[in-house]
Amino acid sequence: MLEFRHVHKTYTTPQGPLSVLSGVDLHLDAGESVALMGESGSGKSTLLHLAAGLDLPDRGEVCIHSQSLASLDESGRAHVRRETLGLVFQQFHLVASLNVADNLRLQARLAGCEDSVWSAKLLERLGLAGRENHYPEQLSGGQQQRLAIGRALASRPALLLADEPTGNLDETTAETVLELLLELVAESGSSLLMVTHSPKVAAPLDRRLILRHGQLLAESGESHLPCV
Amino acid sequence: MCKQWNLNPLRRGLSVLCLLLLVACGPASESKSESGNSADSLTDVSGGDRAGFAGLGTSSKGYTHASSTTSISFPEDHGPHPDFRIEWWYLTANLENENREPMGIQWTLFRQAQQPQVPDVERGAKPKLEPWATNQLWMAHMALSHGDRHRVAERFARGASEPLPSVAHQAGVTAQPFIAWLDDWRLESLTNNSAGDTLDHLRLTAQAEDENGTFGYRLELKAEGPLVRHGIHGFSQKSADGQGSMYYSQPFYRVSGEVMLDGERVAVRGQAWLDREWSSQLLSASQIGWDWFSLHLDSGARLMAFRLRGGGKNHDDYLSGSWIKPDGEVMPLDGSTLTLVPLASADAAGHRIPVRWRLTLPEQSLDLEITARHANRWMNTSVPYWEGAVSVSDASSGVPRGEGYLEMTGY
Amino acid sequence: MRLIGVVLVTLFSHYRRHPGQLAMLLLGLWIAGALWSSVQAINASARDNYARAEALLGNGFDRLEREDGQTLTRDDFVQLRRAGVLVSPLLEGELITDRGETLTLIGIDPLTLPGDSTLARGQALGGLQGFIMPPWQTRLAPDTRSQLGTNPTLRSGTPFPPMIDVPELPPNTLVMDIAIAAKLLRADDSITALVSAADTLPAAPSGFTLVRADTRSSPGELTQSFHLNLTAMALLALIVGLFIVQAALGLALEQRLGLLRTLRALGVSGRTLVALLALELVLLGLLGALVGLISGLWLAKTLLPDVAATLQSLYGADVSTQLSLPWHFWLGGIGVTLGGLFIAGSGVLWRASRISLLGLGQAQVWRAGFQRQLLAQTWLGGVAALSALALLWLSTRTSGDALDSGFGLVVGFGLVAAIILAAALWLPPLLALVLSVSLSGLSRLTYLARSWPLTQWALADLQLQLPRLSLAMMALLIALSANLGVSSMVGGFRLTFLDWLDQRLMADLYLKPPAAQFAAIDAWLVQRDVVHERLISADADSQLLEIATGSAASRRPGLPLLIFGITPGQTLMADWPLLATLGDRDAAWQALKYGNAFVNEQLARGEGIVLGDRLSLATPGGGESVTVVGIYPDYGNPRGEVVMATHQVRRLFRVSPGSIGVVMQPGEDAGLLRQQLIERFNLTPHSLRDQREVKTTATAIFERTFAITRALNGLTLGVAALALLAALLAQAQERRRRLAALWAIGVPLRRLLSIQLAQLAGAALITGLLAIPLGIAITACLVWGINVAAFGWRLPLHIFPGEISLTLLTAVLVALLAAGLPMLKLWRTPPRSLLAEEET
Repeated sequence: MLEFRHVHKTYTTPQGPLSVLSGVDLHLDAGESVALMGESGSGKSTLLHLAAGLDLPDRGEVCIHSQSLASLDESGRAHVRRETLGLVFQQFHLVASLNVADNLRLQARLAGCEDSVWSAKLLERLGLAGRENHYPEQLSGGQQQRLAIGRALASRPALLLADEPTGNLDETTAETVLELLLELVAESGSSLLMVTHSPKVAAPLDRRLILRHGQLLAESGESHLPCV
Repeated sequence: MCKQWNLNPLRRGLSVLCLLLLVACGPASESKSESGNSADSLTDVSGGDRAGFAGLGTSSKGYTHASSTTSISFPEDHGPHPDFRIEWWYLTANLENENREPMGIQWTLFRQAQQPQVPDVERGAKPKLEPWATNQLWMAHMALSHGDRHRVAERFARGASEPLPSVAHQAGVTAQPFIAWLDDWRLESLTNNSAGDTLDHLRLTAQAEDENGTFGYRLELKAEGPLVRHGIHGFSQKSADGQGSMYYSQPFYRVSGEVMLDGERVAVRGQAWLDREWSSQLLSASQIGWDWFSLHLDSGARLMAFRLRGGGKNHDDYLSGSWIKPDGEVMPLDGSTLTLVPLASADAAGHRIPVRWRLTLPEQSLDLEITARHANRWMNTSVPYWEGAVSVSDASSGVPRGEGYLEMTGY
Repeated sequence: MRLIGVVLVTLFSHYRRHPGQLAMLLLGLWIAGALWSSVQAINASARDNYARAEALLGNGFDRLEREDGQTLTRDDFVQLRRAGVLVSPLLEGELITDRGETLTLIGIDPLTLPGDSTLARGQALGGLQGFIMPPWQTRLAPDTRSQLGTNPTLRSGTPFPPMIDVPELPPNTLVMDIAIAAKLLRADDSITALVSAADTLPAAPSGFTLVRADTRSSPGELTQSFHLNLTAMALLALIVGLFIVQAALGLALEQRLGLLRTLRALGVSGRTLVALLALELVLLGLLGALVGLISGLWLAKTLLPDVAATLQSLYGADVSTQLSLPWHFWLGGIGVTLGGLFIAGSGVLWRASRISLLGLGQAQVWRAGFQRQLLAQTWLGGVAALSALALLWLSTRTSGDALDSGFGLVVGFGLVAAIILAAALWLPPLLALVLSVSLSGLSRLTYLARSWPLTQWALADLQLQLPRLSLAMMALLIALSANLGVSSMVGGFRLTFLDWLDQRLMADLYLKPPAAQFAAIDAWLVQRDVVHERLISADADSQLLEIATGSAASRRPGLPLLIFGITPGQTLMADWPLLATLGDRDAAWQALKYGNAFVNEQLARGEGIVLGDRLSLATPGGGESVTVVGIYPDYGNPRGEVVMATHQVRRLFRVSPGSIGVVMQPGEDAGLLRQQLIERFNLTPHSLRDQREVKTTATAIFERTFAITRALNGLTLGVAALALLAALLAQAQERRRRLAALWAIGVPLRRLLSIQLAQLAGAALITGLLAIPLGIAITACLVWGINVAAFGWRLPLHIFPGEISLTLLTAVLVALLAAGLPMLKLWRTPPRSLLAEEET
């Protein structure tokens, strides 16, 4: 499904080069859910951006469905994002000028796989039924994030990439949203790679990985998961 | 003093002038497509129905009509007849230069009334005489041909039925002394006896310019016979329904003088024929054109013959003519004493023209073949027609019998 | 296709939520398009009119005039024709309709008018009878006809002959047969001209002079500079309008940056996104261009009568007050608006194509480079300033010779453009410099900073606003300086012109008596004690055959000229305006009396004539040589002219005297004399005009001449105000948040608002101050460069303090006005909700 092979990524900063990832290997099976943990600045978001093809590694390979993202051009990668991936960000990135229903269906429409039954079900499950004609600014923070999750899942992506999806929410809301996210991921049959710094959030997922000093470690901190 | 804001109106005025050509193109080209032939003409301007060649068959209500009871008297009738619609002074000459090469000239002054004259009684008080007022249109054609060259010029002038007295006019005709002119083109009598003028001594001068340079002639004409009245005392019937014209000729001119062509002056001599004709309705409405012959025969006799196409009984052709003996005695000809048959045609400026004819006069035991010397004698004037010199020979033996001029219209 | 549809709908959804932005964008396009296309419509329409006038001229006609200067008559025509000289009579005059419209009537004789071919003549006869026979015909262009309305009559009540449309005719021109024309003009047997086809007459017949066709001064050429002026003004409006578009597009992009990023994260490729943004531009552009075109037409219709009056008074060119537009006008209008839109939008597209996917949520990224931008602008401004210097050098170098006015004009406009560009580019760095210097000054004097914390904040805040504001301020600067430049030029011209009019119109009464009465009237005037002096004038058409300069080889321009005769008496010699004389004034006047000449400024400049040159003029008696002893200003006259003493003009050119100017004894009333003249000689009031009347007419013409310039100028300023408003609206939301923070820490709202007004007014004031020298520079370019090239005369530079203060006031007012709307919104929003406004 998703595979990182010896991925290196270095950024140039005014203070000199900063190595963020140095030889990351990662393998994610279909239907699997993985939590990616680590301290602030450990490179979690970078890894997620690489997985989404928003950025390219300096060395190594990132593959989705065995297809190296680096071998695709910009519109090829856009195609992969559109058709295969779902993205949920810490900031919700909803389209302010579209109402709830249109925001929810936006990616599915872009991918050409709009499923109105599934969309309606999502709206229902996300607790947004009856608010289809509201605009994002009229929703609470939890509602906005639920909408963002719904948008990512409306196209039934093979892989959902989530970056601190509950980071902006209070604890209770975060719990409900997370629960819902996992349920819906299971229902849509997507894989999940979720960045979080909260062990509590990471707990329900199949596996938990920790990013430290540019290296990926299993939760125990001992086992190094090799690329299969 | 504050004239800095003045414009220069005159220049602007001038700039507008060419417009007339543009202006009038519109309606003219329209009527051309309507009538379907090239008979777009001077007389067309009378509006209403177009009929006959150049509108000469148009109804002529309000004009005086030619009839067999009209008499001709000289010298008055050398002058214009403004109460008739159309009139011409028509001169053709068969000439030869010092190398005995044939040349031909034509000079014609046309007068056309634009509207019938209103009798004085109806008009009441005479209107103020206006210098530019127009009810007569003058048009003159000249042609000079030599071999394949055929140079043509045309001029126009406005006129009035009652020209302002003691004022110069651009065009006109006076009977005593006889002068017919338009601009500097003149046909004038040289006789001392203007009261009894029989036009037996005339001078013709005309000169024009086109893109090939100047051409013209200055000729002296002396009659060797009398004036000749055609038809019935000068009334020449033109169709079976009685339309006709007043028509006399001087067919016996000897000519000498010079022509100017290609920058050279050439002495010429030959014989000429003057036609005088006026009418208000020359043709009937169904006649589409004519073929007109004026021939000088070597025998000393002269022959005028014409065929009007359409307008005869049952709309067949109408034939007429005059056999003129060397002493001037006239014998009218008609369909029973004259036959005219076209034998061959040729192309002249895009028009299909009969250029060889057979003319028979059974009573005179004459069987003549008449051949155009050159097909290229098309008169590309506002009223287009064909006018050129012909040679006459015996139809069976081919022996030369004379020369003359042929005019063909409506082709 | 589906993807494109979804993305387009999503992009446009922004405008559904922010219709104001869409309105601003369309407004910018509309204004830019409307002004531009209206001027283009006027130009295209006028060009069409000139083309008609010139097409009719064809190769032109030669003209014959009587050697004795008498009026030509029908008899001259007939005598010439009968002598074989193929001339045609022409009668020209003016008709006044019942509604007071003046039309040119041309009477022709179609039977003798020279034509190109016999064939053409033959066809011409087709429609002849209606033309030459009662009730005759009035041939006129359809636009003239619709201008006349239904059933027009002459002032006398006489109806026009039946009208026939001839689209090829120039506007305001009627063509009739000479018979009816003579009747309507009461010309009897006199005619205005005898013409012949160009170059067909080898020489003049005896008793006549031959004036060859003049194909030189066609209206199109004469008025070229005027249209160039209009185009420059319209271009200015277009550019300022595009500033609005730029501001609106920038705002729409900035507010949609998040949307664009989200779309890319959701799998829309960058290329697709840029292509779709471009498509969005095209769609908006088409809409804006269409609306602009339609209102441009309306504007053109409104302005056209003034333009037509200007062209008529300035150049004598007839332009219809009806629009007639060729097809390419429509394409051109849309093309220019779309092109302008893309220039304005290219920056936006470029930025959109470079959105960093990783910078999600950081909307200010693209503004980070403002410092770099300021540096680049400083450099570019330097380049523009250098080109201005180069052009200045070029123009001073070329103005000495008799230069091609087209080239001079282009250099002049180039110079103005370069100066404006340099100033506009330097404005933002200048503003930034002023701000940073004031800020560092404040912080160095810490006690000041302590006591004026809000001032410090205001300066810092303005610094933050600068990237957004700079473009709008540039637009304001351009509009203000152009406004100042043009109004100073017009004002200066007005002053000079009125002054000059006073000097030229020295007689109290002007009369143009009928030729037959001239001697009697003149003799009568001599005996009046109240008359101080009679100024008799005469004019003649001639040709400038040769110019002989002392040193250089002589030139042969073959230029047609008007010779104007004046009476060098006490009155004129004292005050008649002269720019330069050979020797002192008295010497020049003495020389004039003895047969030498003055030339007007435009002739001197146009032909490079200097004092002392000898001109050879065509006279009926052959070439006559005169020395140039003076140069005089002749404002408003498009053509070259030579002045000589009246008695010399009459002698040399065999013309009769034209008019008498009556100078009254001091304190005597001209009105009484006028009354006596009318009664005694049975004159029409028309042939007698007093000085005041002439002055009023001239001034009225002058005002109309510049009406269009003023109108366009005002519109440009209005557009600049809108650009500023657009820029302020663009940052309103962001500013509200910033102000809310200050409000939260305890600054009263009223105080905050006044600070903001002060910020903008200050920025506008600096812009206005910069506009003053810039405006003066533009005025100088206009009066010393462009005017000379376009009209042939040079004006003194006048500076109007009133105009300058007005400019400053306008700048501040425009800024305050533009700030008002966002301010009002701010005032009415509870600050609490400002704090809660979320950043998207």
